[in-house]
Formats: sequence, C-alpha cells, structure tokens
Amino acid sequence: MSDSTIQVEAGRPRVPLIDGIEKVTGTAQYTADLDHADALVGRIFRSPVSHGEIVRLDVSKARALDGVLAVVTGEDCPHTYGVLPVAMNEYPLARDKVRYRGEPVAAVAAEDAETAQRALDLIEFEVRELPAYYTAEAARAGDAVLIHDDKPGNFERRVHHVFGDVAQGLAAADLVRETTIDCAEVNHGQIEPHAALAQFDPFTGRLTMRSVSQVTYYLHLMLARCLEMEESRIRIIKPFVGGGFGARVEVLNFEIVTALLARAVQGKVMMELTREETFLTHRARPQTTVRIKLGMTKDGRMTACEAEVVQRGGAYAGYGIVTILYAGALVHGLYDIPAIQYDGYRVYANLPPCGAMRGHGSVDMRHTFEVLVDRMARELKLDPFAVRRKNLLKAPTCTANGLTINSYGLAECLDRVERASGWRERIGRLPPGKGLGMACSHYVSGAAKPIHWTGEPHATVNVKVDFDGGVTALTGAADIGQGSSTIVAIAVADTLGVPLERVRVIAADSAITPKDNGAYSSRITYMVGNAAIDAAKNLKERLVAAAARKLEALPEDVACEGDMFRVGHGEQSALTFDEVVREALVNEGTITVKGTFTCPPDMQGGKHKGGAVGSTMGFSYAAQVIEVSVDEDTGMISVDKIWVALDCGRAINPLAVEGQIEGSVWMGLGQAMSEETRYLDGLPAHASMLEYRIATSAESPPIETHIVESIDPNGPFGAKEASEGALASAPPALVNAIANALGIDLDELPVTPDRVVEAMVERRRRDRLEDLRKAAS
Amino acid sequence: MSELAPLRVARPRDVEAAVALRRAENQSRYIAGGTDLIVNMRRGIRRPKLLIDLTGVEELGDVSVTQRGVRIGAAVTLAQLAAEPDVSTRYRAAAEAAEAIAGPGHRSVATVGGNLCLDTRCIYYNQSEWWRRANHYCLKHAGTVCHVAPQGKRCHAAYSGDLAPALMVLGAEIEIAGPDGHRRIPLADLYADNGRAHLKLMPGELLLCVHLPAAAPPSTYAKVRLRGAIDFPLAGVAVSLAMADGTVAALRVGLTGTNPRPFLLAETESFVGRPLDADALARLDKLVQKQVQPMRTTLASANYRRLAAAALARRLAARLAGI
Repeated sequence: MSDSTIQVEAGRPRVPLIDGIEKVTGTAQYTADLDHADALVGRIFRSPVSHGEIVRLDVSKARALDGVLAVVTGEDCPHTYGVLPVAMNEYPLARDKVRYRGEPVAAVAAEDAETAQRALDLIEFEVRELPAYYTAEAARAGDAVLIHDDKPGNFERRVHHVFGDVAQGLAAADLVRETTIDCAEVNHGQIEPHAALAQFDPFTGRLTMRSVSQVTYYLHLMLARCLEMEESRIRIIKPFVGGGFGARVEVLNFEIVTALLARAVQGKVMMELTREETFLTHRARPQTTVRIKLGMTKDGRMTACEAEVVQRGGAYAGYGIVTILYAGALVHGLYDIPAIQYDGYRVYANLPPCGAMRGHGSVDMRHTFEVLVDRMARELKLDPFAVRRKNLLKAPTCTANGLTINSYGLAECLDRVERASGWRERIGRLPPGKGLGMACSHYVSGAAKPIHWTGEPHATVNVKVDFDGGVTALTGAADIGQGSSTIVAIAVADTLGVPLERVRVIAADSAITPKDNGAYSSRITYMVGNAAIDAAKNLKERLVAAAARKLEALPEDVACEGDMFRVGHGEQSALTFDEVVREALVNEGTITVKGTFTCPPDMQGGKHKGGAVGSTMGFSYAAQVIEVSVDEDTGMISVDKIWVALDCGRAINPLAVEGQIEGSVWMGLGQAMSEETRYLDGLPAHASMLEYRIATSAESPPIETHIVESIDPNGPFGAKEASEGALASAPPALVNAIANALGIDLDELPVTPDRVVEAMVERRRRDRLEDLRKAAS
Repeated sequence: MSELAPLRVARPRDVEAAVALRRAENQSRYIAGGTDLIVNMRRGIRRPKLLIDLTGVEELGDVSVTQRGVRIGAAVTLAQLAAEPDVSTRYRAAAEAAEAIAGPGHRSVATVGGNLCLDTRCIYYNQSEWWRRANHYCLKHAGTVCHVAPQGKRCHAAYSGDLAPALMVLGAEIEIAGPDGHRRIPLADLYADNGRAHLKLMPGELLLCVHLPAAAPPSTYAKVRLRGAIDFPLAGVAVSLAMADGTVAALRVGLTGTNPRPFLLAETESFVGRPLDADALARLDKLVQKQVQPMRTTLASANYRRLAAAALARRLAARLAGI
C-alpha cells in the first residue's frame, strides 16, 4: 500500500472512504450481522387501528407460550421519549391510546422467530375506536377529536414570523403571483432496515446497546430515561450503519423496546424489523402543502414574499417543531428579499410520525419558491438565471431573521452550470418534448445551537498516540455512510503532517469515544472536523516540543511534514515520527489530547421564538440545470442530464464531495419523479422497495458536478457542508424543465406519469376552450 | 417480509414425477425461479408444505426450433428467452417483453412458465399478513370484501405478466401436463376474467411449454411503469401487424396490467383491408380505451392506465406500419 500524505491546503487529494474496502468486500458488520446466536428474538405487536382508546390488552396467553421469555407492554415503561426536550409525547409502547396503525403496543422475546410470531398472534387487544384523520385538513377541522389532549386544533406548532414590511414590498412589485404546491410525504429509503441488539448483564446491571443510530448520545439519554437506569450503566455502540438520511436521527421506539426486552429477560435480544416495519418507523419528510406569494419588479428584483407551509406531521411530535421552523427560516439566506412573512402549521394526523430527512424542512418550501420564480420569470420574459443574479446576497451579511452568512458562492454556482449546460445557446431552441430547467438551493453546515443545551462545546475529539506510533482519533460522531470518519482521519493526518495510513479512527462507542451530538444537520465536517484539527494541533505541539528537545532546537524551528520532523534540511537534524513519539512518551507515557469546537453565541440565530433553527456558521449553496425529455402520450419523463454546482467552501476530499452531491441530487430527483408514501385508511400502501419507488440505475442520469470553493472563514480548512445543499434544487429544476418542454405547470410532487398526462389533458382542454372563445369573438 | 414457514422441497427429474408429487400432496406448489411465489409466501399469502422444484426437469429447460415453429420450455429463464437469437429476430415482441421484466437478477432465475402463471396483483393483496389482517383481508384471499370495488362481488386484482400479451399476438399455444395426460390449448384460453382465480388449470396440472407458429407477423411490445426497471406494468401492450398492399392483413393487440387477465383486443378484424392511417389509429385508441378495465388496484390512477394503454397501442401499431 502506498502512503499518501494529505495536503488539504495545497492540493486536492481524492481519498476513498477509509472504511470503503470493508463495505465493498462484505466484511463490514452491520447490526443484523453481529453475532446473535445466543440472543433471543424480539418482535413487536402493532396496533391494527388508526386511533382509539385501549380497552383491553391481554398478553397472558403469549406469556404462557413455551419458548417465550418475556412480554413487555406500555405498563413496563411509564416514560415518554422524544428528540426535543419540549415535545416528548410518545411512549415506546402505547399506553391508554393508540394513534396510528402500526404503533407498537407490546413486544415479545422468544427463543426463535416462529415462537415469537405465535406469541404475537396470541395477544388480545381491544380498542374503542375514535375518528381518525389522514390529512392535515381533516385534523384541523373545527369538530375534529383531539389526537393529543393538550394540543387544541391538533396543531403541534403554529409559527408566525414577519421580517420587513411585506405589504409595502408587494405594493412596490410590478408582478405579484401566488402558487400552491402539494408535496407528497417521502421516505429516506435507506438500504439497511432497522435493527438493534441489546444485552443486559444481570450481574453488573449494565446494558450494552448496538443499534443503527445516527445519534448514539440521544439514544443513551433516552434509554436511561425510559429504563430508569443510571447513564453510567449504559454503553452504546454503533456498528456499521447502512444509511440514515435522517431516518435514525432521533431515538426510535424499537430501540427502547429492545432494551426493555433485554432487561426483562436479563439477557440478550436481537430485534430486526421488516422493511414494512422500517417504513412504519420512518420519521421522514412530511406531506407538505406550500403556498407562496411573491412580488417582483419587471427587471426581476424580488420585493417581498409571503409563505405558508402546512405539514402533516403524523401522530407524534418527533422533530416536528424544528421541521416547521426550518421551512420558514430557510426562506431566508438564499436570496436578498427585503420582506418575508412566514406562517407555518405543523398538524397531527393518525399516521406514522414524520421527522427529519436530508434537507430537513427546506425542500418542499424551496421547491415551491423556485417553481414560482420560474413562472414569474416566464411571465416577465426574463431569463431565470438573470432573475437569480438580480437577487444575490453579499457576504458577510446577516439576514432579516438573524442568520449569519460568512461565505456565499451562489454567483459562481450559477455561472458554472449556465456555462456547462450551454443554457444560453440552447434554451428556447430545443426540439419538441425536450426542456431545460434550473433552480437554486442552500443548506446549513450544522445547527449552531444544539437541541440539548448543556454548555459543553459543540464537538469534542480525542487523539491518542502511544508506543506503537499509531495515532488514534476518538470521536463520538456517527459515520452512517456519509464518510465522517474519513473526514476526521484527513483532518488529523493533514494537521499533523503524517500519512493517512498512520491515523486510525474509532467512532461512536460511548465507553471509549467522547460524546458527540450525532450525524444530523450536516454538522460533522464543520464541527467535528474543526475539533479534530484542534486536537491534532494540540498533539502536534507536544510532538514538536519533544522533537525540539531531541534535536536541541527551538520548537518554532521544527517542521513536521511527510511523517518526519526536521530542523533545516540536514539528515542529521531529522527524526522519524516514531522517534519523536518515543521521545514524547518519556516521563509522560501514553499521550491523549483533546480538541473542541464551539459556535460563538452571536451565530446562534435571531432572538425571536424559534430563531435558533436555521442558524449555522456556514451555508452551502447550489445551482443546477436539468435537461428532460417528456413523452406527451404516456407522461414518461426521462432526465437526460444534470449539471450541478455546489459551493461547499473548501472541498477537503473532492471524491467524497462529488459522491455527496450526486447522492443528494439523485435523492431530490427521486422525490421529484416517483417517490411518495401513500396510506389506505392509515395503512401504508408503499411499505416495500417495490411500491416505494426509488429511482433505479435505469433512470439515473449522468450528473456533472462542479465544486465551487468559497472558502469559509470558520470552516475546517475553509470547508462547509456538502451533502444536503444540492438536494432541494433538484425537484424545482425538474418541474421547470418539464414546463419548458411542454408548457404545463405541475402543482404536485412527485411528477409521476399519471400527473403529467392529467396536466396534458387539462392543457388541451384549456387550449380548446381558448380556441372556441377566439372563434366566437 | 417474514421468515418462511417450515416446508419440504422436492426436485423431480421428469414431468411425470413432478405431477405425481403435486397430486400426492394437496398443499404443494410448483416452483422454478420463485420470484413471485416466494414473495407471497413470505407475506403469508401462500403456505405450501411442499415445494416441487422444476429446475431439474430437463425437458422444461430449453428452446427448440423446428419447421413447425418454436417450442419454449416453461422453465426457460427470461434472460435465456430474451437472448435466444431465433426469438429476438422472429418473435420480437416476446424478446422485448422478456427483456423488460423486473431486473436482471430476477430475469436470471424467473421463468417463462412462472411469468405466464404470475399471480394477479392488487395494492390490497400484495401486503403483509399484519396489513391484510388489519384491513380484514380481501375477496382475493381470506376475506369477503373487495376493497377496490366494495359493492361488487368480483375480485379485480390485475394480471401483470409481460410475456402473455406478447405471446398471444404471436399466436402462441401452450401444452399442459396433468394427471390425465397432456392437452394443448391457445394461450389465451389459459386465463379467466377473475382476479381471484385467473388460471384455468386443473388441480395438479403443469404448464410444460409454449409453441409459437413458424410464421409470425412483425411484432413489438412496450409498457408503462414508474421506473425503467423492477416495476410491474401499469399497462403493457403487444402488437403484431401484417400488411399487404398498404392495407392491414392481420392486426392483433394483446393487453396486460389492466384487467384480471391478459387478453387480445376484440374487433381488430375491422381494420383488415384498410390502411392504417390516422383515422384507423384513432379508432384503435378508442377501441383499447373501451376494452381495458383498469381498477384502483395500483397507486397510479386507473384512468391513466387506460389512456396509456391506448397511447401505446396506437404508437406500436404505427411503428410496425412504418408511420
């Protein structure tokens, strides 16, 4: 194996993920792969009804069945759980009421799967049914029964934010237009189904939990809360995780249930959910209806915006309050808009609870906004690129709602995709059925204010060096396939001036690694990356001091690069890394240093209620162009090509950045073209990889990525996030391209062939009426 | 998807042994690729005690060409069929249909017989045991109500095999082995217009092979679906067309994905002797719209499936006519 020294500042290394080989060779152990030969099988009994009071739950027959070791119910856990301290309203197993079909009611641990299933079949469950609501509209209706007694109107949260004078802005506009778009609920569709392996040691009273989590720290907290255990008795270990995208960014009921079972049997329980159960436990992007009214001058300057967002959040709170706040906060921060009013409604419904998903809160709002801008540009006969350029921000700046913008590469993103796609030469000159569309988007690089405020730094990384010369970075950050451990390795190796191969990363084991808030809001590269650099700098200081001692030089004269410490250029005045480590350990022993990162309070958002949501130290920016061919008769859309540019600050590892950009565009395209969850009276009709239509390789277009490096003043090596920013511009770019191809306006996502054909039928009908009217006059 | 219930698997070497095994155990099923059956078993819809694996029966596994035509064994895989030069040149619709089924992994094991005998599908039926039980089951399986059309007493589950319409427009016949010997029937006669029992096979009968006539008119197949792979057809259309002196000599249109059975469009003889011009194509469009009966068995709207089937029929006919 060749050594590769990483020089982030100087070059552009393309580093494969450090755990990639294990994954592609199949040796990586995901939760379900862990040895569980001696574990009992856990299974969950789920509510068959959407909404009702529990009249009777009799598990005695299940408990009496041979081979059943434990049955747990809501009786076994009187504590709620949830990701937001202000909105924990969910029990791991239902108590008193059930609020959606599929809600866990009881669980069994048995010697084998067959026995576990037979035990479930023996559970007797009686419910007094209540009216169930499957749309936000029905749940909001005046006479609707309350899903949660303390939430009048079935509202989880209502938001009303006004910044600037919207009425004046609209009055000053030459054109005011309003549009409403209905975006379907979509799912993360991560490849690995949910699983957890819990082991309770009856002698020590300790619990070890291995799970698919993105947020092992929150899992730790919730297990302690729900099991009434001391946090010190719990250990959380994250094995390889097969994708998250937000699916595991809050603690999930099955994780707590597995731990309850393990404690009940005083042993080991493996819980593997089916794909259907994984869909039921989804926490994904809610069905959202967005209405936007926008004012524009005839040269394309935006004057004011009114946005209303209604999210059907499902039966429990989850991340809902954050989601509805994000949708409003991120109307800001992309363009310079003088006045913005936002009204958000997060509504409960009798469906599985929604949560956070890649592009959290922003995607459906951004889609509607970018589609409306395109329609208005058409009406004003302006080029959509020109309209965006007319409304650019200038960094550094602070938005009306208090978001800090320190770097802003949108202008260059626009230039790059406009040129690469040949936009100017081709727009308006394409053959029938073909179209080009564009859109922009942005996203945060980590929420500046953590959900659980403790006063601790936002990120902590430990780095250890020992007799063997190995450098071990210890981080609580959960690598869920996004490559966060690789970033930590690069940050440490580059700062120390050693080859990547010298650095080993141990991640997400609460007994070993420092606490980390988890893999969400694209925070790891920015926050953990900065903490890793800080730790490596601290270690380097110690090593340089040792080298200086040995070389009888001043520390400031010692240079460390290429795995060597030198003073000047002479052979006599050089030490290998191992020699320096040995010297550093004299009288000291093993060295462990710490690095941290903290977001300054003045970057933690506006002072208004909910003002922390959306705040970040660096926004990524994206622009993309999509080219489509549409078959008018069948409504089939094929995406011919996508050009996308992302401003991610410094691309620490361009190979990984390209992968993240492609992945986010592709995910946005899936939401735009075919993905949607549908319920039939509250039963998921989509709960398989056949019915939930993630694009296959057959639909996946060539994606040409352009990396724009705005160099963020505070990011690690100048970096910002790279994995979410480009998602939200994919759906509007597609819909705008279809409008360009066929002249139809689509007001729903996804734009499936049936919706395209319906829109074509509607357009022909309108054209015919128009012709008749003309003929008559 | 849950674990399979315990079961036995037998692997007979010839047809007689297979039929005998099937006869001896009432709760048995034939299996080849298993891409349809195993999914339903994991969902608790089928619970056979014995699976009779047909992949060891040699006479089912090959394609043979004679002067009278082509014989395609029922256990020939879809990948094998699509790659067969005689099929892809002379019976294009069949090769196109085979090539468009599911994904490459499925096609490498799924078979001609399995696709022809594909179970009908419905959004209320292809769900887990928990799901169907919570929904009080349905007319197709274990229940008394059809959730697609609750007033009626019919099961509307749609047939969505791709091969059947393609083979039907090519004039295919099938050979069936049963306890009382062999019988040979037109492929169209295999199917009944009943989503709950769409195959007219007697207990124990086994589909042996498909016979295609030596002379078949030019043909083609296409379908609409949300994704370019994996998905079953929302509507699938096969067309064969013979022209003579600028007019239609023979036109056949086979349809799938819209009704409980695949079927040949009726009244296509009315096109014979006339040119296939814009008027004729418009008439064909109307005819398809009239005869397909898509119901709410898929998440895509029924009306879309009707319009798309008609659009495909028009397009494929035009393509074969060289318009």
